[in-house]
Amino acid sequence: MRGSKKTGGALIQNRRMSDEVYITLLVASVAVGLFLIASLLVPNFFQWLNLLNLVTNNWAVISLGVGVTFLLVSGNFDLSVGGVVALSGVLSVWFAQSTGGANALSSGLGLPYWLAVLSAITGALAIGGLNALFVVRFRIPSIIVTLGTMMVARGIAQVITQGSQRNTNLPVEFGVLGNLTAFGTSVKLPVVLMGVLLVVAIFIERKMVFGRLTYWIGANPVAATLSGIDKARHVTFLYLFSSVIAGIVGILLSSEFKSGYSNRGTLMEFDALVIALLGGVAIAGGFGSVVGMFFGALILAVVTSAATGMTLSPDWQYILKAVAVFLAILAQTWALARRNR
Amino acid sequence: MNLMSQHSSFVDPSNPRGNKVSAFLRTYYIYFVLVLVVTVLSVANLDRFDLFERGNFLNQRNIIHILRISAPLLTLAGAFTLLMVSGYIDLSVGSTMSLSAVVYALLAINGVPFFAAFAITLVVGFGLGAFNGFLVVRLKITPVIATLITLSLYKGIALLLVQDGVSAIKSGGGLKMPEWFNFYGREGVLLGLSSAFWVAVVVTLALVIVQNRSLLGKYAAATGGNPMAAKLSGINTKKTIFSLYAVVGVAAALAGIARSSFMSLGDPLSGDGMELSAILVVLLGGTAFSGGEGRVLRSFIGALIIMALTVGMLTLVPAYYQTLVIGTTLLAAAASNHLVSRKESAQ
Repeated sequence: MRGSKKTGGALIQNRRMSDEVYITLLVASVAVGLFLIASLLVPNFFQWLNLLNLVTNNWAVISLGVGVTFLLVSGNFDLSVGGVVALSGVLSVWFAQSTGGANALSSGLGLPYWLAVLSAITGALAIGGLNALFVVRFRIPSIIVTLGTMMVARGIAQVITQGSQRNTNLPVEFGVLGNLTAFGTSVKLPVVLMGVLLVVAIFIERKMVFGRLTYWIGANPVAATLSGIDKARHVTFLYLFSSVIAGIVGILLSSEFKSGYSNRGTLMEFDALVIALLGGVAIAGGFGSVVGMFFGALILAVVTSAATGMTLSPDWQYILKAVAVFLAILAQTWALARRNR
Repeated sequence: MNLMSQHSSFVDPSNPRGNKVSAFLRTYYIYFVLVLVVTVLSVANLDRFDLFERGNFLNQRNIIHILRISAPLLTLAGAFTLLMVSGYIDLSVGSTMSLSAVVYALLAINGVPFFAAFAITLVVGFGLGAFNGFLVVRLKITPVIATLITLSLYKGIALLLVQDGVSAIKSGGGLKMPEWFNFYGREGVLLGLSSAFWVAVVVTLALVIVQNRSLLGKYAAATGGNPMAAKLSGINTKKTIFSLYAVVGVAAALAGIARSSFMSLGDPLSGDGMELSAILVVLLGGTAFSGGEGRVLRSFIGALIIMALTVGMLTLVPAYYQTLVIGTTLLAAAASNHLVSRKESAQ
């Protein structure tokens, strides 16, 4: 039985690659194509350093995209990540600030830095738990829940910073994590962490039962429940996973800038969603991949930086994003329909 | 009448009295919430209310002010409810509103008379809504994604229409806003309230009639309740959805005109976050997010509650508490809707 299953799988693999690989290749070639076109149009665009910058400048959104992609594959939105970035960053600053500053915004709780980081991650987890509670237990549509928790998370950050930011009275080690460079290069630690996260996420997605279950749940929730998958627990894990990533991103960003700013991460949740969609993740669930999301991020990065290079006003970014997503969705639908005709 | 018959199907014959009470509460709770919010705010603030005039929350000037700045949300609430009743959503309302505000101000500042500018802006709003409908109905893009695309698109266009280095369309650089510009949103015409407010009332009443008496209203509820059954019973669901998106577009344009006239500005960011407020008031009004149920009038009351809360709150806590309170209210409204609907399905 085991043998027959194996040969069956091999047969299918020989005959035809899966739709998912097909779409991922499509997205990747669009990313490369756009990069080449941009190189023709924009002077000095075609450089290795520029290619590297396209990735390193977007480490935060790409990291958030991992959690968002997993959730989308399971059929759920997470729009709270931008709020969580602000919340955990502000919390880490507030916990680490020493007590007895000159005014309310310069005195915090005075915890040691490691404890401040852990507590900030706990705060992020709380938002993830709230998402899971409302989506899984109360069965409220995830888009409404996570819009609400986005506001709650950012709202708490605004209350703690009184609507502005906290950046004084911080211990020296606060600014280390976000500015540490790795292996004597100019690549910063957050970028390395993003790389590690991507590798781990791809491994979970491709090789582990947990990853494959995510696809089943998204593709057919009823069948997944009937075949004994604990959907509630699985989606809860995914929300916690996504909010921990967002929490760490927030902590790293506030360490990089040595400040906790309540409006940091504004619109990051939409960018994370946009790169997932550009990368071929289906909004209905059950389809998409982290690799695709990564190339989706490259597409967005090439388009926006080329627009800046061609000295278009920054207002064009909104229109470019809209057109890119629109074309990506049409192209993917069309390509799949044509292929499976 | 319609409401009562809707709820009577849940009545348990063994306990008619208790169910009558709960049905009554479910229908009219929103009015109690409004009274409660206003009462609490009136009792609580007392002497810290120095925003407009020292004194009570319930003074005439304050009420007029709140109703005046509520006009955009009040205009939008009804149309948004009908769309959500049909099971669809429009996240681009804020951007539609901003773009309409910019268009209206641009027309006005370039010397187009009031009625023409008004009409052209409504046509623009209709077009923006219809484009949403086109993406959703014709191209079959998921409503959330389609309207996220247009959220970004319309906002981008609004920002591009305002020249670089200026934050909004306003007097200056040889052009001047006409005298009449802020009459519509600011000056009291009846009972001290602005035309924009009365337009919101008229729009809401019209939509109440549409919901209760017209085929579009019935079709919207049928589409939201069970899309398949609606289609099989011969309802043109595509046409219904398309019309509803167009209606929302027009309502958003009206809201944009009201906001822009009130502020004497064509601000390309003036509608930011409006989609959240719209979702919030619709949820407060008890509309089921899965579609099929909801009332235009209750969303109108929901909008009044939110505006009373946001303005009243400024007297109690600093402004930076606002996001937290709105977010919490959103989650609470969603949770209470869930509890009510679970109770109904249990019965």
